Amino acid sequence: MSKVSKLDPEEVEIPTRLSVVEPRNDRIAAEQARWLQETYGKEVAERGERMPFVTDCGIDVRPLYTPADLRGRLDYCRDLGFPGEYPYTRGSEPGMYRVEPFVISAYSGFGDAEICNRRFRHLLELGAEQILVANDLPTQCGYDSDHEMAAAEVGQVGVAIDTLADMELLFDGIPVNTVKRVGTLCNSLGPVALALYAALGEKQGIDWSRYTVNLQNDPLKEYIARGTQILPPGPAARLAVDAVEWCAAHAPNWSPMTVCVNHINSGGAGSTKGSAIALANAIHYIELLLKRGCSIDAVAPLIHMFPDERHDFFVTVANLRALRRIWARLMKERYGASNPDAMRLRTTVYGHGQEALAEPLNNIARTAFGTLAYALGGASYIYIASYDEAVSTPGLDSIRVALRTQEIIAYEHGFSATIDPLGGSYFVEHLTNEIEDGILATLRELDEAGGALQVIERGIGRRIMTEGAVRRQRAIDSGDRPWITVNKWPEKPNVPNTAFRVDPASIERQLARLARVKAERDEKRVRAALAEIDRACAEDRNVVPATLEAVRAYATIGEICDSWRARFGSFVPSTDF
Amino acid sequence: MSEKKRIRVLIAKVGLDGHDVGARVIARGLLDAGMEVIYTGLRRRPDQVVRAAIEEDVDWIGVSILSGAHGTLLPQLRKLLDEQGAHDIRIMAGGVIPQEDIPVLKSAGVDRVFLSGTPISEVVDYLMQETAHA
Repeated sequence: MSKVSKLDPEEVEIPTRLSVVEPRNDRIAAEQARWLQETYGKEVAERGERMPFVTDCGIDVRPLYTPADLRGRLDYCRDLGFPGEYPYTRGSEPGMYRVEPFVISAYSGFGDAEICNRRFRHLLELGAEQILVANDLPTQCGYDSDHEMAAAEVGQVGVAIDTLADMELLFDGIPVNTVKRVGTLCNSLGPVALALYAALGEKQGIDWSRYTVNLQNDPLKEYIARGTQILPPGPAARLAVDAVEWCAAHAPNWSPMTVCVNHINSGGAGSTKGSAIALANAIHYIELLLKRGCSIDAVAPLIHMFPDERHDFFVTVANLRALRRIWARLMKERYGASNPDAMRLRTTVYGHGQEALAEPLNNIARTAFGTLAYALGGASYIYIASYDEAVSTPGLDSIRVALRTQEIIAYEHGFSATIDPLGGSYFVEHLTNEIEDGILATLRELDEAGGALQVIERGIGRRIMTEGAVRRQRAIDSGDRPWITVNKWPEKPNVPNTAFRVDPASIERQLARLARVKAERDEKRVRAALAEIDRACAEDRNVVPATLEAVRAYATIGEICDSWRARFGSFVPSTDF
Repeated sequence: MSEKKRIRVLIAKVGLDGHDVGARVIARGLLDAGMEVIYTGLRRRPDQVVRAAIEEDVDWIGVSILSGAHGTLLPQLRKLLDEQGAHDIRIMAGGVIPQEDIPVLKSAGVDRVFLSGTPISEVVDYLMQETAHA
């Protein structure tokens, strides 16, 4: 002991297990059991517990966690390590928010490109550092604004984009290299969306190496959760990885794929099973890329994830930590990655709570806590829901509050002073372990069921989601999961008349612009480019070069998607429930 | 056993809105309550929904709509039903629908609008009460 007190580094034994040495652990376990029975148990016997404490992802939360709960389950250097180092549990970057806070991101879009451009300029003035364009449903589903299916939906839930001309207008006065990232969801349009953002840089005279495009481009989850699928899942995944493969060669600084948990979790799967489904999807994309001869070290850094947990604060933190650890080990152990960037998982998240329709201002508190949890979990890019987002496209006032909430979390309260501040919490480390086990167990089941395509085709993903959604609804109806103004102090839900509406004039403008572009473009060049896309599809070549040419020639998104539909067929909607 | 005919409901997604969890949860809930339930699946046109409703001889069409297209698609549905002589098939809608649109939808032949977050039991009670043969 005297040697240790001299603090001679040669003599000090650094414990590798978190905070405790084995023998004392036994004593803590015994003491914990005693406390649980005698002290805590006594009060609970008299007064009872308020409610069942079960997380939305299905973990029974115990009254107290101690070092004994981590016994044999946590080796500090093996399982936690250090920020910016394998296995990245404590953070993807070495300096985390001390060097640069999470990227303050805005997801926005409505109407036509002209009106939406004004909104983007406002967002940038308010401090947004990244813009993810919300597209309307016709755009996302590959229909032009003048298509029969588009009739009532043009510009409704996002901005309508038909051709490159719309993109030019959308980013008029906003050089793409003045934001940290720019991009969109367009999960079923991967190569088209990629080509539009690549051609936009060309139009603005900005080299691809000087800006960063981010796409969600994760079509597989659409069949399970979100519903903008266009093609059958096999060809859809193939086209999605075309975008990744092209970027690895031409724009390795872009992030052309973000594999999503968010819609799967919010649809009902829960964050643990949702994470497993998303990982199964990621594995499918990665294996398609490896089969083409790509190296894991070249493609994995281009693939990010979009984790999601909205119900339980500490689960949110633990889920992000667990996912980073799982990703690092998966890349290293299953795929033999050696590039640290391939093992370092970058995450995009969307700060939510359980937003309610009644008394919408309360949603500011909910989304702030949800966002704080993501920040404490070390997310790389953070979006936040506006308080009125459950009702409609947010107005400027509510967007201002949302962006300011992100900025407050990034800069005030000392939230980002130290890295992974909840690391080492007995509870959070225990949750991280439990969640990791849960995700890996479900992932094994999905692997055994045949992987991502089987999960879709056999309806496994949708079943997991519907069962979860029914369970959630029951927890709300029974009051087991308290929800203020819904099942506790209930108030009548109300969708106010002030809910955002799209100016019909902007829809007219969109239709007029589409007609004008079609009339003025070089029709022969468009036809030739579309024919080349079809040949690339048929011959199993990467479609991005042909798509880029088509986009430059002002082919419409609908025309390009029609060429895919003609080649691959359309998806068949499931009528199971 | 009861001689009563079971209530038949077609749960429908019209337009491009792909968020169908709410629709599926309602479908399950109505099934659990003893009704006969059919789900259209995603992205149907109003004429496809009307054809399915008539072929399946349902009492109700329940439309889930979250994309803001309700003002166009729901009245269109009613009009098509009436043109086919299916005046007895009634429409309920669920989703995020602004208060001031509700009377407009009602006068366009939508019987009832349920906002997101409505307990399933409320929908079940309503259908039990309102369906003549139930």
